[in-house]
Amino acid sequence: MNKAHRKLILPGVIVFFITALVFLAPILPLADVREMSIPSRFAGPSASHWLGQDEFGRDVLARLIWGGRASLFIAVGSALAAAVIGTALGLLGGFFRGVVEVLTVRASEVILCLPLLLLALLVVAILGAGTWPLIIALTILYTPNYARVVYSATLQVRSLDYVTAQTAMGAHPMQILARTVLPNIMPPLLVQMSLVIASALVIESGLSFLGLGVVPPTPSWGLMIRAARGAMEQQPLLLIWPSLALAGTIFTFNLLCDRLQSVLDPRGITGGGAFWLRKNQRKTVENERVAEPSTDALLLVEDLSIVLGREGRDTELVRGVSFKVMPGETRAIVGESGSGKTLSGLALNGLLPDVLSINGGRALFSTREGAQVDLTRLDEDAFRSLRGREVSMVFQDAAAALNPVLRIGEQVGEAIRAHKEIDDAALDERIISLLRQVGLPDPERRVRSYPHELSGGQRQRAMIAVAVANEPRLLIADEPTTALDPTIQAQILDLFKTLMADTSGMGLIFVTHDLAVVSEIADRVTVMYAGEVVEEGPVADVFERPRHPYTAALIASVPEGDADRLIAIPGTVPTPKDLPPGCRFAPRCAHAIDACTTHSPEAEHPSLDRRTRCIRWKDVT
Amino acid sequence: MLRYIAYRCVVALFLVWVVVTSVFLLLHLIPGDPAELLLSQGSIAADPAAVEALRERMGLNEPLWQQYLDHLGGVLTGDLGASFRDGAPVIEQIATRLPRTLEVIVAAALIATSIGVPLGTYAAIHANSFADNVISFFASAALSTPVFVVGTVVILIFAQQLRILPAGGFVPFSEDPLGHIQLLLLPAGTVALSLLAVITRMSRASVLEVLQRDYVRTARAKGIVRKRILRRHVVRNALIPVLTILGLEMGTLIGGTVLVEFVFNWPGLSGYLVAAVDARDYPEVVGIVMTISILFVFLNLVIDVINAALDPRISLVRR
Repeated sequence: MNKAHRKLILPGVIVFFITALVFLAPILPLADVREMSIPSRFAGPSASHWLGQDEFGRDVLARLIWGGRASLFIAVGSALAAAVIGTALGLLGGFFRGVVEVLTVRASEVILCLPLLLLALLVVAILGAGTWPLIIALTILYTPNYARVVYSATLQVRSLDYVTAQTAMGAHPMQILARTVLPNIMPPLLVQMSLVIASALVIESGLSFLGLGVVPPTPSWGLMIRAARGAMEQQPLLLIWPSLALAGTIFTFNLLCDRLQSVLDPRGITGGGAFWLRKNQRKTVENERVAEPSTDALLLVEDLSIVLGREGRDTELVRGVSFKVMPGETRAIVGESGSGKTLSGLALNGLLPDVLSINGGRALFSTREGAQVDLTRLDEDAFRSLRGREVSMVFQDAAAALNPVLRIGEQVGEAIRAHKEIDDAALDERIISLLRQVGLPDPERRVRSYPHELSGGQRQRAMIAVAVANEPRLLIADEPTTALDPTIQAQILDLFKTLMADTSGMGLIFVTHDLAVVSEIADRVTVMYAGEVVEEGPVADVFERPRHPYTAALIASVPEGDADRLIAIPGTVPTPKDLPPGCRFAPRCAHAIDACTTHSPEAEHPSLDRRTRCIRWKDVT
Repeated sequence: MLRYIAYRCVVALFLVWVVVTSVFLLLHLIPGDPAELLLSQGSIAADPAAVEALRERMGLNEPLWQQYLDHLGGVLTGDLGASFRDGAPVIEQIATRLPRTLEVIVAAALIATSIGVPLGTYAAIHANSFADNVISFFASAALSTPVFVVGTVVILIFAQQLRILPAGGFVPFSEDPLGHIQLLLLPAGTVALSLLAVITRMSRASVLEVLQRDYVRTARAKGIVRKRILRRHVVRNALIPVLTILGLEMGTLIGGTVLVEFVFNWPGLSGYLVAAVDARDYPEVVGIVMTISILFVFLNLVIDVINAALDPRISLVRR
């Protein structure tokens, strides 16, 4: 029993209690609901009348329970009747489709086009007031709700393999419906049921309140509120009791519905919100500046670790990542999905999702002014002034990364305005020259375009224009070519190369899984596997002589013109929750020895500018 | 954009035709003679001569197609027939009362949106915090309390205990502007409460979803200040589904303010409908239902056009 299930207990128990109370009304020792006592009109609560007496001196508690009986009888009765009819319509429509669907589901949906209360009034106008007309009216009202739910659930179940199999084996459609479809649609039906009961209670009590529902002297909550309204100056309590009973019951059924839903669909519980948007968040971190420049690198990352979850019960996704980027240098970070390459890139721009955090290491960045800041210790505000101006990002999927409802010009312009006071004319000029710089055709017209009006390659160019709008010192590109066609990929890579050539001193971190792209664009490469850096060095050297079996295997798996066959790496990347105890690549490594599976290897230096995390690098490469 | 609006107008006109036709069919498909139904009192049968006279007056003796054309023509020329009770043209009553109902709904929508959107946005940003739980609880409670309970309790508090606002009634704005607004406050506030709950919940869900989107991360990566990210990127996009819901809710309210108008003695369209239903005045009921349905359709049209203005992709997709 998990948390979602436990949360069902409270509303479940209250619903059971209310139901039991009204069900047992005839045998409970309650006062007669019709027994009047004019002398004790409007009497307050007393020992014999716990909740007091109404305008005719009748016992309020008894009337409340009997009133609940009437209200719930109508609500539950019509909910059940609508469930039976609606389920039948939905099943037939969903199973047979075609004309049957039009006659059942679509026909009943016409009812949904009109306001509920209006329809109920229409039915009452035709049938007259009273308990049974109410049940008929509410049944008609709620049938389409069930028909819809059951219809869509049936469509889903119908296409499942075992249902298809039964049909193929010649089972009668009715048999299949009864045996396989019905049990499968019970859960959504239950949710619908509690929702309909709550809604029916609202409409029933409303009509009774108007005098068009339950007919006196039968007590009902709506009628009690109607009567108390005339006497609320003498005895406000008479209004309070039925109001509380009514609202409380509806609230309970709504709560039951909500919680049933979260049991059935755990995805509905989205976490988080946005810590970065909250004010006064993360006060603990001081924006420290490292006293003296300790390196001439643009960026020096040391021992960076990223964890998922709260302290104590966290999972390490990235461990001990170190690399540096010199001014004007292109650093590729390469690895399979789940290697932690994208997270490392996001961390350097303070854009990790709220559930992740940096729990170790540092990332020293030299700003334009020559100061050094540790990117792992900045709070949101300090990061804001760096983002776009000093460190910038190009994301993988430009279609999702551009705001669909804003024009391209505005999206580029706001990046500039974020860091610079600039008048409109100069801004327009700058936007157009940027778009021209990234090779977007017809930039004067494109500034007025929305993202969906551009092609995939053009969107990525616009995305790059946003990133370089303020001539950042460090550009982080997260798989910027992955979502594109091969020909467009080559164009975008060329654009990156041109940008690097034209901008002096800008560093580029290029995150990718594609080794061909690495050899094309990068000066140095960092190979990551399962959250760790396994090898690092100049691109040409690493490709010519890999010093880690994983790198070697990756290179061997790249399709090349003269290769006879591709060599795939056996096995899969381990998940962060069950990493092997020793070397993380050992289970998939052809060269693994016993020592590999017991101790996690430290970084070794085969030469001055090379690094590998393999104890057998001398033997295996 | 213009083409899209034109297209939506054609669809709306088609829907209006469907409504007008359905109402006509409803009138003739209900078992029993409407004239007889009107004249009979409980179990006492109606006088056959009177029924025949009424049938003649209602045009029920004409062929069905003739009646249908008359019905269509009546709607087109704004002639919805005469009230059975007093013989006055139904359209006149609707014309006086509809603006009063719309006034309550529009005032309620303004109150609910101006509070609900910021409240829902705050709850989303602070999801699962104490403040979020409190907001969510009150939203559920407001949704669970029927509008006539809220109205009655509000009268008890503001009119009877505190005595700061009148309990109900109506004065035309032209006669007494201040009194009119005072009288409007309680009914509009009552309708606003449940609407507020809907809008708060919807805004919260919508903002939570938008916050997960890549373009919000892009906006952060640009280094824009929080307020601008929130306004231009988060709320702007989150508003689209909220507005749709608001439109649907307002449409429902046009026929659903019955209870509020009854509680506060507000002489609007819905109250008129209840009286018509009570008296089984067919021309009135049909006229009101038709008016409300047509308004409902056009409200949806307006919402669609606003959505298209907010989200440029819409006009492209459904063109």
